[in-house]
Amino acid sequence: MTDRTRPLHVALLALNSSGYQSLALGYLRAYAQADDRLKGKAAFTTLDLTVDLDPWWVAWRVLGMEPDVLGISVTCWNARAVYEVCRIVAEVRPETVIVLGGPEVGPIAEDVLRERPAVHAVVRGEGERTFAELLHAFASGGKAWRVDGVTTRKLDEIVSAPDRALIENLDVVPSPYLTGVMSPIEGGAYLETYRGCPHRCGYCFEGKGYGRIRSFSHERIAAEIAAVAGAPQIRTFSFIDPVFNLTGERLTWLADTLEPYAASGVRLHTIEVDIERIDEAAARELKRAGVASVETGPQTTGEAALSACRRTFDAERFADGVAACRRAGISVECDLIVGLPGDDAHSFLAGLRFAIGLDPGIVQSSTLHVLPGTDLWMRAPELGLSFDPEPPHEIIATPDVGYRDLRRAEVLAVSVQAAYRARV
Amino acid sequence: MLVFERVAIGSGHGIRCTRCHPDNESPVYHPAAQVLAAVQAVVDTWHGGPGPNVTLTGPEPFAHPELPGMVAGAIDAGVHRLRLEVDGGAFARPGNAEGALGAGVRHVQVTLLGGTEGVHDALAGGPGAFDAATTGMAALDDAIRTAGVAAIVTVLVPVCRHNVADLPAAVGAAVQAGAASVLLRLEDGGIDLEAAAPWITAACDTGVVNGVWVEVEGVPFCVLPAYDLHLASTVRATGGAKPAAVCHACPLDRVCSGGPEGASAETMSAFAPPAGAERLAQAVSRSRGGAR
Ligand code: SF4
Ligand code: SF4
Repeated sequence: MTDRTRPLHVALLALNSSGYQSLALGYLRAYAQADDRLKGKAAFTTLDLTVDLDPWWVAWRVLGMEPDVLGISVTCWNARAVYEVCRIVAEVRPETVIVLGGPEVGPIAEDVLRERPAVHAVVRGEGERTFAELLHAFASGGKAWRVDGVTTRKLDEIVSAPDRALIENLDVVPSPYLTGVMSPIEGGAYLETYRGCPHRCGYCFEGKGYGRIRSFSHERIAAEIAAVAGAPQIRTFSFIDPVFNLTGERLTWLADTLEPYAASGVRLHTIEVDIERIDEAAARELKRAGVASVETGPQTTGEAALSACRRTFDAERFADGVAACRRAGISVECDLIVGLPGDDAHSFLAGLRFAIGLDPGIVQSSTLHVLPGTDLWMRAPELGLSFDPEPPHEIIATPDVGYRDLRRAEVLAVSVQAAYRARV
Repeated sequence: MLVFERVAIGSGHGIRCTRCHPDNESPVYHPAAQVLAAVQAVVDTWHGGPGPNVTLTGPEPFAHPELPGMVAGAIDAGVHRLRLEVDGGAFARPGNAEGALGAGVRHVQVTLLGGTEGVHDALAGGPGAFDAATTGMAALDDAIRTAGVAAIVTVLVPVCRHNVADLPAAVGAAVQAGAASVLLRLEDGGIDLEAAAPWITAACDTGVVNGVWVEVEGVPFCVLPAYDLHLASTVRATGGAKPAAVCHACPLDRVCSGGPEGASAETMSAFAPPAGAERLAQAVSRSRGGAR
């Protein structure tokens, strides 16, 4: 892209689950808009659409905006639709530069560029700084392939610039809510208080992708909570933190900060917790924070699968945590994964039986997705995992359970969960 | 995984094969107070798993003159999941589905004797029964969606030599009517299990490809190799027939409930410890929370 006289028109696109908006795009835009070098050189529009929309109509909306740059956040769930949108947009408007980012594409950036000629560049890893740098390169005639964290084409060659270091001080990423880039929507607003995860579950990108834990400052978190929980339209919202009860002190601080809003009826839903560290006192803190429902594992109770996925599980502590939440009036969603290496269909059923036996409120199972960049993705040949290379990368068979029993286990789990849910 | 305690609302039976049971006696209903006392006893002694859950069994509940009071009483007593075993026809009548859901019924098990009008009506003993059952199920499914409550319809197929070839169709009919799962319960001790096996496996597959679980009771592991998940699920028949000489040498003995009750020697001649029995026995024990 050569030197320009008019601002770059940057369209940001996310295809979300119904009722949600993309926090990732909010961050990208808030960061880029605050970059002095892009002032007057880039104008932004966000399209927060839903993944169930026909890609042809998504392309219609995109093309109607005539963007110079189209940035799309890609997950395993929306990737198929995103690739279709890219194909159509590239065909109709080849001058639009298509940039993808997100956990689905970052770890396999070179493959994505090789297989998808419509895509011009992939932003790898944490996107805010890299995307802003890339826009700066586009706006000033710089070279995209020189931007750290970017994989792109240099003539006919696919090249990856070095990885970009993680942002040390997360507060330099402006809040999408405090800057007005996003307005919170009822039920679908999420806050993030830190990045990274203390755990390293083999099937998850979170523990692998962002490494050590980096937190936003208390001031920043408190201001965002005030902006979201204090908004008149908000009665419920949530946090995307992988472990809300990261430490006891942090939980108490969050409860102190959230308590006034909880007292006025604002509730937190599907808060992810480490349930084995929840005792009566922690459950009281969650309640004080306004937590109505929490989401947790065990994902599996099978010893072989736990070990293959580098997870720990203590049945007694898990049961105590669920019971403490229930006594505090907090509904618990216990999640299980079908098809983990080391689990056969019967050990999956053992986990299902364990979860149902705790009477947590909700039991939810999903099928393993072998996601790019995760430990399981990298160890798939060694573990003998057969999975769909196309997103969402569902497991097809493992050495422990074949294709037919996997499908059976999925159907059986849905039926048991429905029977459990059906109560007065 | 979910346990339902059974409380009889009367003596006699709901819908069942009139060829296997030509002398179906007329039902006698217990007074509501007696049923509710039994329900209360279940609630008071509930063992701690998710519940209390109660199935009202016996003759058709919609013919019980005090059904609404019994349902309300059971919910007041603290039952979480109340299941009715019905022939389905009552739900085709306006108001019954909404009334049952409003009163707190959350599980309804409809009995189908076949998957086609020809088989079901012939075995149920009269024309129109299949149509009434499937219309009733569809009406109930509609009412559940409209009310937005978490409730499910399941289907029980009592399997005998007269309907075994109709099992895939029965599962198809259940899928069509919105059932969440299907239970095939072999009740005919004289059935030829080996001849029945292809129909049972086809019924299981029909369910799976349509996203509806099919559970099988009264068939041992050795008769349905590779279909063990369908046999190892939530609630199992106990006391099924097993030829001791063969089964005592089978590693699956501790988890297998054998064939249908009253199985004939001819039926049991199909039994033999299957390949991989030890490994399967360990896996099944594990899934039932037993020894690792
Ligand atoms: S699954 Fe949850 S706990 Fe495990 S690494 Fe991912 S975010 Fe962390
Ligand atoms: S031989 Fe084994 S599998 Fe067959 S009926 Fe006997 S115990 Fe069950």
